[in-house]
Amino acid sequence: MYTFTVNGKEVSTDKKQSLLRFLRDELHLTSVKDGCSQGACGACTVIIDGQTCKACVPSTDKLEGRNILTVEGLSEWEAEVFTYAYGEAGAVQCGFCIPGMVMCTKALLDVNPDPAEEEIKYALRNNYCRCTGYVKIIKAVKLSAKILRTGVIPRPGADDWKIGSPVHRLDVEEKVRGFGKYPDDFYMEGMCYGSALRSRYPRARVLSIDTSEAERLPGVAAVLTAEDIPGENKIGHLKHDQYTLIPTGGLTHYLGDAVALVAAEDMETVEKAKKLIKVEYEVLPAVHSTEEASAPDAPCVFDEEESNVLAHKKISRGNAQEAIEKAPHVVSGHFETPWTEHAFLEPECAVAYKDEDGDVMVISTDQDAYCTYRECSLMLGTDKVKVQNALVGGGFGGKEDMTVQHHAALITYCTGRPVKVRLTRAESLLIHPKRHPFVMDFTMGCDENGKILGVQAKVTADTGAFASLGGPVLERACTHAAGPYAYENFEIEGTAYYTNNPPAGAFRGFGVTQTCFATETLLNMMADKIGMTPWEIRYRNAIRPGGVLPNGQIVDESTGLVETLEAVKEEYNSAWAQGKPVGIACAMKNAGVGVGIPDWGRVKLVVEDDGKVHIFTGASCIGQGLGTVLVQMIVSNTDLKREEIVYERSNTWIAPDSGTTSGSRQTLVTGEACIRACKKLMEARAGGKTLADLAGQEFYGEYLAKTDPLGADVPNPVSHVAYGYATQMCILDAQTGKIEKITAAHDVGKAVNPLSCEGQIEGGVVMSMGFALREKYPIDKNCKPVEKYGALGLIRAHEIPEIQAVVIDKPGLNVACGAIGIGEITSIPTAPAIADAYYRLDGERRYSLPVTGTPYAVSHKTQEKEG
Amino acid sequence: MAGQKTFPYRAAVVSCNGECPASAGFQCKYGCVGCGNCMAVCESGAIVWNENQTAQVDEELCTACGACVKACPQEVIHIHECANYIVVRCSNQDKGKAAKEVCRVSCIGCGICEKTCTAEAVKVVHNCAVIDERLCLSCGMCAVKCPRHVIGDLRGIF
Repeated sequence: MYTFTVNGKEVSTDKKQSLLRFLRDELHLTSVKDGCSQGACGACTVIIDGQTCKACVPSTDKLEGRNILTVEGLSEWEAEVFTYAYGEAGAVQCGFCIPGMVMCTKALLDVNPDPAEEEIKYALRNNYCRCTGYVKIIKAVKLSAKILRTGVIPRPGADDWKIGSPVHRLDVEEKVRGFGKYPDDFYMEGMCYGSALRSRYPRARVLSIDTSEAERLPGVAAVLTAEDIPGENKIGHLKHDQYTLIPTGGLTHYLGDAVALVAAEDMETVEKAKKLIKVEYEVLPAVHSTEEASAPDAPCVFDEEESNVLAHKKISRGNAQEAIEKAPHVVSGHFETPWTEHAFLEPECAVAYKDEDGDVMVISTDQDAYCTYRECSLMLGTDKVKVQNALVGGGFGGKEDMTVQHHAALITYCTGRPVKVRLTRAESLLIHPKRHPFVMDFTMGCDENGKILGVQAKVTADTGAFASLGGPVLERACTHAAGPYAYENFEIEGTAYYTNNPPAGAFRGFGVTQTCFATETLLNMMADKIGMTPWEIRYRNAIRPGGVLPNGQIVDESTGLVETLEAVKEEYNSAWAQGKPVGIACAMKNAGVGVGIPDWGRVKLVVEDDGKVHIFTGASCIGQGLGTVLVQMIVSNTDLKREEIVYERSNTWIAPDSGTTSGSRQTLVTGEACIRACKKLMEARAGGKTLADLAGQEFYGEYLAKTDPLGADVPNPVSHVAYGYATQMCILDAQTGKIEKITAAHDVGKAVNPLSCEGQIEGGVVMSMGFALREKYPIDKNCKPVEKYGALGLIRAHEIPEIQAVVIDKPGLNVACGAIGIGEITSIPTAPAIADAYYRLDGERRYSLPVTGTPYAVSHKTQEKEG
Repeated sequence: MAGQKTFPYRAAVVSCNGECPASAGFQCKYGCVGCGNCMAVCESGAIVWNENQTAQVDEELCTACGACVKACPQEVIHIHECANYIVVRCSNQDKGKAAKEVCRVSCIGCGICEKTCTAEAVKVVHNCAVIDERLCLSCGMCAVKCPRHVIGDLRGIF
């Protein structure tokens, strides 16, 4: 028996297990998050005898007599201080890392009541955050320190919930105190655990599956194979080519393909049973790369396909070739960008059970509850499915596809039992679609004044083992490769190939991150060639209101690229004049799906018996703060007060379908739908009706972001209802070679919550610092990717430079109070700006990512004797 | 002395547990031999003997001047960043069996640490674990999994 103290109470256990499992599974202290169980992420950080410790590391038998503290054990005063400080600083986004960060905050401030910034960074540096870029968490620690020293919690800096006010996000308290529930925090009566047996080979034919021995293992509730699927085996976000379970006779497509599904009373039994399943394979040669995939005699990744081409796009306007041939200045380059892992802090998890209607209820962490609903329904062959979003611990595009939801739904359907299916971190790294690696050849022609005359490009993407969003990602990569500039001759050809690598799909930037690196680098090369600054060449070519983009779209009055350039002008020119290594890049990114695809936002405002307006929309908040945005929109468009409004998490039986949280679209598309619902609500209140008078009534708003399809036969097609624009600038410290500062100026239309907006920018910049400088996702010759979260090379708290987020409010868009989505563009121009800065430092042009020859690219080296 | 230190703090660390004098007599040719040279050159009084007559550093007092590093004939002392409290306490470069014979807590180069480390911060180099502090996330998983208790936590949690 091991006895120790948890949150002031003595506890005993005779089971030897990790402290994390004990705290979560036995004591249900679910503030202690399981982000990796590898000692990397820090989401499970607790305090042991005054010191921070990742709870996944020590086992219960080593804790005799120890005193352990979790967020649940904070004093009321401490909890209030941290809630205020994290809210005021804007430090909370998806929230999954936050309890761990709070523990680090407390442990630091207990011994160092007035820490310097560097000390704060060190206190946080063993914990990862993928949303915030750490900037605002560091601020929150500073603010907590001040409040703890003075003993007074001030009034919030903003309590007017109107648009433009930096109010505390509405989900701060549940995330700081750790009572907000992600799917893994649900523990249901009679719940079993499920997990899939994955293919042993990336490409093999499954000859037989023998589950008999596994089924006989005591504690096993079910072992399911493809034969148990009542509906369609093949599902998918768009194209249905993702197998729920590989059938006997079927081909495996990557190491993440599920062959059988085990449900048992506990995870130990699940793992034992998986080992007892006998699968016979005929091992076949795998397709490792786009070169192999495009070879004439290449094996087909899919039995159903005639080639490995998932998508081929050719976009042409004007005559790029002729324009380049006639251009006085021409530059070309071959560019490569790598696989990137989303590394959201919360691994995929779903809990399913039969509800009182006999429906399969799926509690899900995803980017679209309706998508989960559609795919699970397709697979089960019934619409008796409901989906409820829990908190979502980050997505960044990586939670748009089914990873666990369909498996959980199938187990519940077949067994009638509640089940939790959760990916281990190693599975998560393997299974959800990644950012596509791109190989790109670009040529650009300019006149003597630096005006772009034409751009011609060819790009190839590895889309891995199933379609996911590979087609649209390729398309967006191609359409946006032209950059935010006014010129007429543009031609691009892109191909995405299936391989037996892990799948690639949506990732913050949606393909544009890749092609922007090529276009912006070319532009920097061109500026050097012509003899003007990279800032100047951008200013001369920048798209301005009323101008025509290379896709033919005439841009509206909200177009603010020039303003973002002007925002960095002085600092850029001054750094340039001083000979400092400074790099620059611009970007544009659509808000909304666009290109003629029906893009609906839908919101239902329900006046409930509590006399409050409840917001129902099938739009996932994946950490970006959609709930807060919608509340601010309602306060601005009605006479309601904050206290009269309740944000409800997305579901599929009350909330109307509002599309996927993708394409930076929710603020604009769902925001506009919300405003329309507000109008109806206010009409109903005419004549002085109170909310109580309206109890039981619903007010529905919908908005179609109408666009023209690609290649539409109109002179100036509207490809997207809105674009965000940005200029980012990177200054290096010439002595250390480290980044001194990144300035990120973003045209966001109207910033609904400037604090959240800054948080998006800082987070996007730091995420792409990783993309530019260090992040890696190696895949071995067996198509097996990295298994270790700590080895991804994510940027840590002590490595961030000064980040100045410049939010440019520019009116002009006539929907959603002028707000344009900010989610993706924050990550797009960062890498080319950084690469340009390193060129200014050492004269070496970087054509592939992550860039080399920087102090950030560390790999293990034997410690040198120092002294 | 503490007032002169600048963050991030650095200090000397001795890569030896010093178990061999206690258990088997001075047999390990790689470890601390208890010569006291480090102690003699330390102006801060930061080096003390542990229970095994092995040099040990008091990080509070240490100024990371590096004098002990130079003075150590065995080269088992190096300077590290104090924030990286997970350290390898062995310098034995012999293969497993030989390393086992001279000390109860010697590194046998089994590589469990290397396999366990999420950050790829630990590598077995010349049969002995080495932590690259630039990569280490200080989780202590290697310390917990080390079958020989070679890797330790200077804070005393593991």
